[in-house]
Amino acid sequence: MRHRASVAAPDLLDPKAAAHNSKPRLSFSTKPVVLNTPEDECDTRTTVMRWKTVSAIFFLVVLYLIIGATVFRALEQPHESSQKLAILTQKLDFLVAHACVNSSELEELVRQVVIAIREGVNPSGNSSNQTSLWDMSSSFFFAGTVITTIGFGNISPHTEGGRIFCIIYALLGIPLFGFLLAGVGDQLGTIFGKGIAKVEKMIVKWKVSQTKIRVISTLLFILFGCLIFVALPAVIFKHIEEWSTLESIYFVVITLTTIGFGDFVAGEKGGFEKPEYLDYYKPVVLFWILVGLAYFAAVLSMIGDWFRVISKKTKEEVGEFRAHAAEWTANVSAEFKETRRRLSVDIYDKFQRAASIKRKLSSELGINASINQEMTPGKRTLSANFCEDREGYPTVNLSLSPVPGALARNGSLYLNGLSPEYADRQEIAIIENLK
Amino acid sequence: MALVGRSWLLLIGFILFYVIYLLFGALIFSTIERPMEDKLRLEVEVLKQEFLNQSCVSAASLENFLFKVLAANKYGVFVLKNASATSNWDLASSMFFANTLVTTVGYGHSTPLSDTGKAFSIFYALLGVPFTMLVLTACVQRLLYPLVLAPVSLLQRSGLEPRPATAVHFVLLLFLVVLCFFLVPAAIFTKVEGSWSFLDGIYFCFISLCTIGLGDFVPGMQPEQKYRTLYLGAVMVYLFLGLMMMYLLLRTFHKMSDVHGLTTLLQLPRCEDSDADEDREPIVDHAESPQRQTEKGASNHLEPGSQVSYNTINKG
Repeated sequence: MRHRASVAAPDLLDPKAAAHNSKPRLSFSTKPVVLNTPEDECDTRTTVMRWKTVSAIFFLVVLYLIIGATVFRALEQPHESSQKLAILTQKLDFLVAHACVNSSELEELVRQVVIAIREGVNPSGNSSNQTSLWDMSSSFFFAGTVITTIGFGNISPHTEGGRIFCIIYALLGIPLFGFLLAGVGDQLGTIFGKGIAKVEKMIVKWKVSQTKIRVISTLLFILFGCLIFVALPAVIFKHIEEWSTLESIYFVVITLTTIGFGDFVAGEKGGFEKPEYLDYYKPVVLFWILVGLAYFAAVLSMIGDWFRVISKKTKEEVGEFRAHAAEWTANVSAEFKETRRRLSVDIYDKFQRAASIKRKLSSELGINASINQEMTPGKRTLSANFCEDREGYPTVNLSLSPVPGALARNGSLYLNGLSPEYADRQEIAIIENLK
Repeated sequence: MALVGRSWLLLIGFILFYVIYLLFGALIFSTIERPMEDKLRLEVEVLKQEFLNQSCVSAASLENFLFKVLAANKYGVFVLKNASATSNWDLASSMFFANTLVTTVGYGHSTPLSDTGKAFSIFYALLGVPFTMLVLTACVQRLLYPLVLAPVSLLQRSGLEPRPATAVHFVLLLFLVVLCFFLVPAAIFTKVEGSWSFLDGIYFCFISLCTIGLGDFVPGMQPEQKYRTLYLGAVMVYLFLGLMMMYLLLRTFHKMSDVHGLTTLLQLPRCEDSDADEDREPIVDHAESPQRQTEKGASNHLEPGSQVSYNTINKG
């Protein structure tokens, strides 16, 4: 079954949240199951996170913001400074070139112009053939940007009445758009889902695992969607608006995530000569925004899903890893202890034998028993080797492989070296004789 | 089949209504704003003419100069004397910018100028937006219990029926949110930002908290802003909290309309919620999930409001 994936508040009334819940939800799960119904989205049972998780994610977000801030600053500040310098130079050049203008007059003019621009009036060029920013198609587009919460801001209401109306309009319009987006997303998901089902049926014949199918269908979804909703419009914008490739993609992404800076707006070229197609252009752009938003919301919620899966998997893996590590450590230490014990017993065993053989030798050769304690390593090995040659004394084996059976059964016998498998019969006889 | 047809019909109905709503809005905006725009345009023309008349500047060079000034202004670089003190990209402003990017508000008062900046913004947004949504949802879910479920049960225990209880609670919550996140901040903004009126403050709060973010009003843009870093930080916190409360409000509204039967009427998803579950791990067992799936599947078929979904296609 799908794991929980309410990336956004599972609420239809907020377009962004609603969009995030719309289909298709091709979350990367190992279960070969299908996309979710809208009804699932509101299930809070499985989604309440612990405070620890929430605060962890929160700190991550803050960290993300700080990282973003530093990168933006590093990238943009030099550029900004050079722009400032350039425009100041322009101003000074202008003043120098036109000696009758004093700087305060110029300041005043520029100030007024800037205010006018903020109000949406472009003082550049002739005013006669300029089109209004508030004709029907532009107002329609503006209303659309308000409802979708994109809010470009290239046009904005400046009268008090306009602003109050904007508030009321948005209050009603945003939920409305939310419903619409959910509906569109659903249909989109259904259409796409049918296609995916067909593809999956084909792939299943090739006996590919379910996980792979899921991955393939997710990738297909991303690819296909990107092609239709991102690449194609970007190309069209590049052609019509004469932006660069990067700027077109930038515009598409910023618009479809509803951020909507407004530095690039489709259809902004109107202001001088209004092309005839502009009347149809803006509504078409709005329609693209609607469908593209549904797609983008699905993508973003998928990314959010992956975050959740990754965090869940990481948690599981960390838990598993810890369990494994504990197990491994326990095993290793147990084995180590065993080996040490065996080794020490082994070594003790060897020394016992060496001692007994020495005694035997000393009794035979008449060597003083006290020398036993002063035996140098050299003599020790000599005697050991001697013993080896004479009695087939097995070498001290320091391997970690368990001795077949003996250890487990007769640990105590080892202590005096009398394990039946190990000791030589002769040896035992000799030792017993010595005793 | 009837269900499929009905859902399609509903969708078309929605689209139609949406288009009509847009047209209506366009009409009203146009009627309100256009006269003002014409007046302003006239004023600027007059100003330009006056300037040209009394000086030796030719129209062409003035145009050229203005064009450059406006291009710079579009990116937030101001040529006026007193506007060049603060950078748009010092750490506080950059963080504010990153915040507007990630919450999708997107004022646009400062936008990336360099190509690298634009490319970075794309990736930053693609990762950051779902991330932020995740955080907000998580926080809202945590808040749901103390702010919604507990008070509602309290109301119910004090004798109200469930349906009126939810309605009463929702109204109370709405009132509280409007007070704390619109009226009070608007008053503060009016005080701190010299040139904003109270209506401007409310307008700004609304536009920001709905994440529309037109950008005509942006806090902290005054040239001599005291404690700018602190101020921007406070605004960021306000935005985050405000967004959370908006989500909470919507969620409560959804639950309430659930209880009142509005959602089934309009064939919308219902909110099945369980109040008691708090510290649940966000892990859905593979073991439990198939049965939940089948449960839901079964109930889906019975539910009058169930729409055709991928689930049903696969089963069928």
